[in-house]
Amino acid sequence: MKLLKAFIFFTIILSACTPSGKNKLPILGQVADAQFEFLSQDSAVVTPQTFENKIYVTDFFFTTCPTICPTMKAQMLRVYEKFENNDNVILLSHTIDPQHDTVGLLRDYAGRLGINSDHWLMVTGDKKEIFDVAKKYMVSAMEDKDQPGGFVHSGAFVLIDKKKQIRGYYDGTKELETNELMDDIEVLLNEG
Amino acid sequence: MKDKKLIYFAPFVVMVVVALVLIFSTKSKNQGEAIYEARCANCHMENGKGLQSLIPPLANADYLNKYRGKLACIVKKGMEEKVIVNGVEYQQQMPANEEFTDTDIANVLNYVLTNWGNEEKPLSLQEVQEQLESCP
Repeated sequence: MKLLKAFIFFTIILSACTPSGKNKLPILGQVADAQFEFLSQDSAVVTPQTFENKIYVTDFFFTTCPTICPTMKAQMLRVYEKFENNDNVILLSHTIDPQHDTVGLLRDYAGRLGINSDHWLMVTGDKKEIFDVAKKYMVSAMEDKDQPGGFVHSGAFVLIDKKKQIRGYYDGTKELETNELMDDIEVLLNEG
Repeated sequence: MKDKKLIYFAPFVVMVVVALVLIFSTKSKNQGEAIYEARCANCHMENGKGLQSLIPPLANADYLNKYRGKLACIVKKGMEEKVIVNGVEYQQQMPANEEFTDTDIANVLNYVLTNWGNEEKPLSLQEVQEQLESCP
């Protein structure tokens, strides 16, 4: 009996250490009431309607960010490459430095990353509107003169489903968490 | 009775042993590598591979040899002008690292100059200091 208990105990510990295949994602919030009107790298207007019936992943960055942004963009690029032929999935990166990051600059940045705006939108707009929408996604983005680059922001990737519900947060600077995001996108695609 | 209770601790003992083996088998990183990972890898990426045409690579970069005499100042003062590395033009601004000591700069440069396929001659501390004295 004791041996059996020990065996069960051991199994629980081991299973806590191994990643298990997920088939259901939690609902962590909803962004259906978020209103915004931004401009993409192609000067196209981007509103909540752009994401109607789409699964999307969003993040916040700025092109002159000297800290985590390039790593986040390298990880997001992996997500882009995996889903670039899937019309149900869109990536959305907001600049938090719209004064500097104009449409022209975002177009150059996107071009240098080699991405297509059909599947990865880089948007700029009114600063307050961008910071407000960050709050809806429940990630931090604000100005802070003491930080390198002048802004502080979360490195999170946020996963939104077709019903505009938040289904996951991932550290966009980590390869393993980005792998998990890609798996979770597949889970949402299977939800239909 | 007492012996059997010990079996509950077995998983923990295994974990501790594994952790200790991992800690002691990992070669301690040299200082240049540690600086690179903390301060450079965010942009130039792991293994110095850069990011598309946004951020230039350091691995197998012709720039290291062509502009060997400018490297210390670039690390210390950052860079705003456009650069061409392996035939590709890059214009992303590089931030300064004013707080780096001369030794930090020598260590991180020598890590870059001798890794990921780079086989440049390391810079001496004296060469680094001479370069720094005449930064633009």
